[in-house]
Amino acid sequence: MDISLTIFISMAVFAIGVVGVLAMRNTLIFFLSIELMLNAANLLFVAFARHWGNQTGLIWVFFVLVVAAAEAAVGLAIIINLFRSKKVVDIDQYNVLRG
Amino acid sequence: MLYAICLGLFMPLIGFLGLMTMASRVSRRWANVIGCSTIFISFTCFAVLLLFYANMGIDQLTVTLYNWIAVGKVNADFTLHLDHLSLLMTLIITGIGFLIHVYSIGYTEHEEDFARYFACLNFFVFAMLLLVLAGNLLLLFVGWEGVGLASYLLIGYWHDRPAAARAATKAFIVNRIGDFGLLVGLLLTFHTFGTSDIAEISRRVGQEFSLGAPLLILLTLLYFWGAIGKSAQLPLHTWLPDAMEGPTPVSALIHAATMVTAGVYLVVRMHPVFMLAPMTLQIVGVVGAATSLFAALCAVGQTDLKRVLAYSTVSQLGLMFLACGVGAFYSAMFHLTTHAFMKALLFLSAGNVVHMLHGVTEMEKMGGLSKIFTKTHWLFLVGVFAMSGIPPLAAFFSKDLILEVEYLAGFKTLFYVGLTASILTAFYLMRAYCLTFMGKPRSDDQVLKGTAEAPRVMLLPVTLLAVLSIVGGFLGFAFGKMPLLEDFLLDVGVTRTEQELSSGFLLTPETMMAIAGALLGIGVAFLMYTKFVDRLRRPLTLLKKAFFINEIYWTMIVLPFRAVARFVAFILEPKVFDGFIRVLEEGVQSVAHGLQRFQSGQVRSYAAWMIVGAALMVAYLVF
Repeated sequence: MDISLTIFISMAVFAIGVVGVLAMRNTLIFFLSIELMLNAANLLFVAFARHWGNQTGLIWVFFVLVVAAAEAAVGLAIIINLFRSKKVVDIDQYNVLRG
Repeated sequence: MLYAICLGLFMPLIGFLGLMTMASRVSRRWANVIGCSTIFISFTCFAVLLLFYANMGIDQLTVTLYNWIAVGKVNADFTLHLDHLSLLMTLIITGIGFLIHVYSIGYTEHEEDFARYFACLNFFVFAMLLLVLAGNLLLLFVGWEGVGLASYLLIGYWHDRPAAARAATKAFIVNRIGDFGLLVGLLLTFHTFGTSDIAEISRRVGQEFSLGAPLLILLTLLYFWGAIGKSAQLPLHTWLPDAMEGPTPVSALIHAATMVTAGVYLVVRMHPVFMLAPMTLQIVGVVGAATSLFAALCAVGQTDLKRVLAYSTVSQLGLMFLACGVGAFYSAMFHLTTHAFMKALLFLSAGNVVHMLHGVTEMEKMGGLSKIFTKTHWLFLVGVFAMSGIPPLAAFFSKDLILEVEYLAGFKTLFYVGLTASILTAFYLMRAYCLTFMGKPRSDDQVLKGTAEAPRVMLLPVTLLAVLSIVGGFLGFAFGKMPLLEDFLLDVGVTRTEQELSSGFLLTPETMMAIAGALLGIGVAFLMYTKFVDRLRRPLTLLKKAFFINEIYWTMIVLPFRAVARFVAFILEPKVFDGFIRVLEEGVQSVAHGLQRFQSGQVRSYAAWMIVGAALMVAYLVF
């Protein structure tokens, strides 16, 4: 299988993630978009590991998955707390740290 | 004997510390007892030492308590040096100091803050003792500064009176100008001799320098600069008349026993150096003569009783420097001694009047007081006659000796200046006497009501001083071959010049002139201020204002100084220095405001910027 297709798919997923982060105001979708970007990177890792026959990329994928899981746990907890205090899921309302 | 020196020196310090720490708890009686007894013990110590010195033929003792400062070239021990000169000074200081302390018991009977008063008085005596006992110039300087501090505290004793606070500050600042000269002289001494030990300097200066060496002239001029400040000579005399704002016994202490004699003492103490600098001696003599005449003229114009006496002191100190100027250090010390008796007498008897009239010092508001002060006015009169040089009272011997020496040394001009000052002395003192005690009473009836003669505790010291003023002159009178005092001072090297020896006490024309002048001055003053008192009471403004020296200093020094200060405070500092800082601050602020916009609190905009940044980095790496 040609690797360029995989790279293309990965870039498309990453771009979707970026657009999701920039354009969507819903906090959960924002969070989801970050996961999309992480997994786009994972896809690249796996594709290149297979292409070059090098296992290091696969190891990195596991690391990223672990970090993403931890991040999801912490991130969701934060979002729930934010929702409790603000009663909204609009990310633009969470602006108490404005300078 | 070494213990006696230490005890004599430190007793007043102990009294000071004790009174200061117990100030709020000590009772009036105990403050009086402590204040006076410390000085009395001190006086006893030195009196005993005098007996030892006289009987055992000791001429000097040196006690080194400990190594005080040892830094490179600056090496000074805490050394006390007691020779005949310092012994004479300590006896004057503690003797007259004790009488003034006793007198103060009466003077402070209505004061609330008596403990502080006696503590400062004790400290004053201690500082002055340290000054005269110091074996090196550095220690002398400590005493010198201590005296300045004590005078500041005592002149400003009534610190709630603005005039007293101002006078204290003025005394301190003017003294500081003189102290600066002495300090520079001290540094130059270290640089020149590598030591400040007075005995060593006196020994070495003759071997290492020739007559009139420029370095010595500079050195002695710096010492004399210090002496001018402390002894209130022209042009630094302005603090002394203002110092009259303090309590009268303090004035007596400053004028008679301590403080102002320090300058004369310094010159006499360093006389081996001064003798090698003839140019400085001339300056000393001229400054002394000018001051004596100037201050005598000012005294004529004063309407404040204490100010008359203050200017009189300045004038007499001028005469002492005049004597130093021709190298007649013995005459200077002799006059210093008799002057101490007389001036203490005059001040304390004036203090009786001031105290019983509840602080009135203006002679305008006095007159006819001899009916009330039946004893004080006689005592004051003794002081007037003694100071005027009526034989055989004290100043006849000492002052006429100075004039005599001046004449014989060939300084004819200085002689006539001194003679004029001396005649004026008789005049203004008699004038003060007449305005205060004779004629019609000019006081407010309210003040006079219930006024009586001063209490015995105040009269007794004054009477003793009157006796001393009468017989004090015989200290210098030749019973045998040599006058007592001269014999005593011979060992220190303070000897008569040849002229002094030859003069004796013969009735030379000059002496006759001086006596006649004194009688003339007294007579004219008596006539003028008893017969024509109403027409003459207003003195010349020029004399009353003391030749406008204060006003001149005010416009020449104080006002420009204030203008500079105001420029710095209100223009330079806020506009220039603060302005620069403000511009800097505004720059930082505006940059911060710009950057602040990025921190919007909008997570999405942060993410957008991150992406822009990442894109830029990728672009940089790729292209």
